[in-house]
Amino acid sequence: MLFNSWIFVVFFMVVYPVYVVLRGTPFMVPWLLLASYAFYAWLNPLYLPLVGYATAITYFAAWLMEKAGRRKLWLILSLVNSLGLLGFFKYAGFATDNLNALLGHMGASYRIPAPGILLPIGISFFTFRTVSYIIDYYRGQVPRERSLIRFAAYVAFFPQLLMGPIERSTNLLPQLSGAPKITRQDIADGLSLFIVGLFKKAALADYLALYADKVFDAPAQFKAPALVLASFAYAWQIYFDFSGYTDMARGIGQMMGFRLMLNFSNPYLATDLGDFWRRWHISLSTWFKDYVYIPLGGNRAGQFNTYKNMILTMVISGLWHGAAWTFVIWGALHAAGRVVTRELERAAFYREKVPKLAKQMGVFAFVTFAWIFFRAPTFHDASLIVTRIFTTGWADPAFPVLALVLVLAVWLYEHLYESQHKWMLALAPARVAIVVMMAVYLTVFAGSGAQPFIYFQF
Amino acid sequence: MREATAAKRVSAAEGGTLCTHEVRLSGRQWILAIALIAAAFLSLPLVWQGIERFRPAADYRIPYALSSDYWFFGRYCRWAASRADTLVIGDSVVWGQYVGKDQTLPHCLNRLAGRDRFVNMGVDGMHPAALAGLIEYYGRAISGKNVIVYCNLLWMSSKRHDLQVEKEFQFNHPALVPQFSPKIPCYKASYSRRFSIAVQRLVPLLAWTDHLRVAYFDQMSIPAWTVKNPYDSLLKAALRGLPAPDDGPHQEPVQWTERGLAKQDFPWVQLDTSFQWRSFQRMLETLQARGNRLLVVVGPFNEHMLEPGSLEAYARLREGVAAWLREHGIAHYVAPVLASEDYADASHPLSKGYAVLAKELFVEAAFARFDAEERGNHVP
Repeated sequence: MLFNSWIFVVFFMVVYPVYVVLRGTPFMVPWLLLASYAFYAWLNPLYLPLVGYATAITYFAAWLMEKAGRRKLWLILSLVNSLGLLGFFKYAGFATDNLNALLGHMGASYRIPAPGILLPIGISFFTFRTVSYIIDYYRGQVPRERSLIRFAAYVAFFPQLLMGPIERSTNLLPQLSGAPKITRQDIADGLSLFIVGLFKKAALADYLALYADKVFDAPAQFKAPALVLASFAYAWQIYFDFSGYTDMARGIGQMMGFRLMLNFSNPYLATDLGDFWRRWHISLSTWFKDYVYIPLGGNRAGQFNTYKNMILTMVISGLWHGAAWTFVIWGALHAAGRVVTRELERAAFYREKVPKLAKQMGVFAFVTFAWIFFRAPTFHDASLIVTRIFTTGWADPAFPVLALVLVLAVWLYEHLYESQHKWMLALAPARVAIVVMMAVYLTVFAGSGAQPFIYFQF
Repeated sequence: MREATAAKRVSAAEGGTLCTHEVRLSGRQWILAIALIAAAFLSLPLVWQGIERFRPAADYRIPYALSSDYWFFGRYCRWAASRADTLVIGDSVVWGQYVGKDQTLPHCLNRLAGRDRFVNMGVDGMHPAALAGLIEYYGRAISGKNVIVYCNLLWMSSKRHDLQVEKEFQFNHPALVPQFSPKIPCYKASYSRRFSIAVQRLVPLLAWTDHLRVAYFDQMSIPAWTVKNPYDSLLKAALRGLPAPDDGPHQEPVQWTERGLAKQDFPWVQLDTSFQWRSFQRMLETLQARGNRLLVVVGPFNEHMLEPGSLEAYARLREGVAAWLREHGIAHYVAPVLASEDYADASHPLSKGYAVLAKELFVEAAFARFDAEERGNHVP
């Protein structure tokens, strides 16, 4: 179920009061687990055995590490199981398509039948949670979680189940072990987060999607201005969509007394690609840093290896997002961008003389360009869009003025937030007015149909 | 002071950041915000009613384009209930699908009465299950009035019309039918959608935003409208005025035989298991509970279009309806069949048909009693 749906409101109105009563009792965690599984099963009951299986294997792998020794063996088996599960559901079709393409290229008539497997929503996220736990346990960074129920609740905790943040066990398990305190400010802050997230999703992301989808679905019909603006619209759409979900997830968690990690920090104000990835999908980028980049060697073995490890990590990250070569290209572009901006920052002139705004604009333009490959359904479409951006002339892009005004308003808000004029946003009348305007705008202007979240597909 | 303390505590715990678009409010500020939001929600539709020009002329009928604008129907009800003696409610037969606004049943009744006493409240596609919902949620202003309720038996002419088939299909006005109980087998909307509809019925603001969408933005959401009309002013579109009422017929007024329609063997449903009939009964109960005086007109179905077997079943159905109305003391008139050439299809009369129907109704004793009670005259 979507957070921005009435069915979720009903769900939360049932779950929350019972949770508040059971807080601190032995029944709190089982209730959260039951609610989380009900939340997941609402999408498709067949998902439940999957998350249950992933949870059980990881739990028992850690148990065996403690009881039976041979820690590395159980670690490897757990990782093979978790990543194998992810690989099967997410990449079987991709592997089949590529093998069939290779067979065709070699002149073979045989084709491997398409697996036709439905990708369970959230699998990428809960798999990474189980993987981070077992690796952290192996490294001695977390104690073994004794309770299977609590561990299952950590893996499936409903606010973050479908689209993150990819919570580390070090953050969430201790919170599930205690009796979360809920203060009035927690409820106030939770509501604030939720309404901001809802506004980002329903008023901004779904609005921009109308234009972006129109152009990306038929790029040959549009010229450069529309293609550029559609890329711009998509850049903001995916940001509002994903960060909006995270805000809602964190808001729900906050109202329950849980602190979920910050996942976005004004990424489009980044001054280089490294900065961008410290601001965008922070839970994923830190995951890749801790479990891929650093184990590969990180930046400990010279510049060449540093860049090699960075590129590998970004390409794998691209592949995590989707089973298609366009995602690999997207990851590779970001890898290239990181290398270039890192080298540029070494130059004193660039570091000290180029205005911050120019760097931000440059990074935003590059990231938007890379989103073309992320969004386009095929490599052919992505190439077509890029080619037409540089070769076609002027045509009225017909971009809605209201959408432009909204995006500029948010961009201005972000600039103010990170500037010395932040105090203006802290004034109580301004804050109350913004919340009232958001609520009225959502009700009067936002479309009536809730669109699925973009990251559901990853 | 408490706000500052709370903010500091959170700041200390989290390194100061709730989210980068945070709009943090304290508890008191949230209460103020909620109060302001509630005030806005309550006042916006009322303020809009003051701004939106709505002065129906004689023979006004709801513009066809606003058939699914239930907020507007509510507004029209309030206007009609304050001005007219008698409201005539029903589907496109009352609205006048094949006739101009000055040829409908309410117009013909007004002509016979010598002044405008009857208001056309007909809405296209308004089958009994939908009409029951429309009256229940948006027709509260119909209270203490004379109401002529048109009963079109077409809605019981098959299981599909009666909404009893399992296979999903797009029927009229799904947002007005019962969302949860009783279950309608062919209605397969998601629970989320159903909840959304249920909430819209309770919150006038939501019905009003739908009104804006239907009346001013080509039935699209406002964002979708701006994508289609990127440089057009929202304000200008919203202030251009309601769609004009349809003066002429919505469909060409041609006899059913000339339209190429053949005789039909309608598989009429049983009255005691008919969902549409139960809905019609529910609507009558709602109207009576609100102190309205009712006259049910059982419409003259085009019997010339029925095969003999189907005609018998129809006659049983019609008699069953009349028997139930008699049993419950509800004034009614079972209209005799019109001449074949006075029909445009199975249930819609042409202009001459409406004139004949009005004339017959006007001299009917049940109508005379019904009409006299409204005007305060007792008829023995």
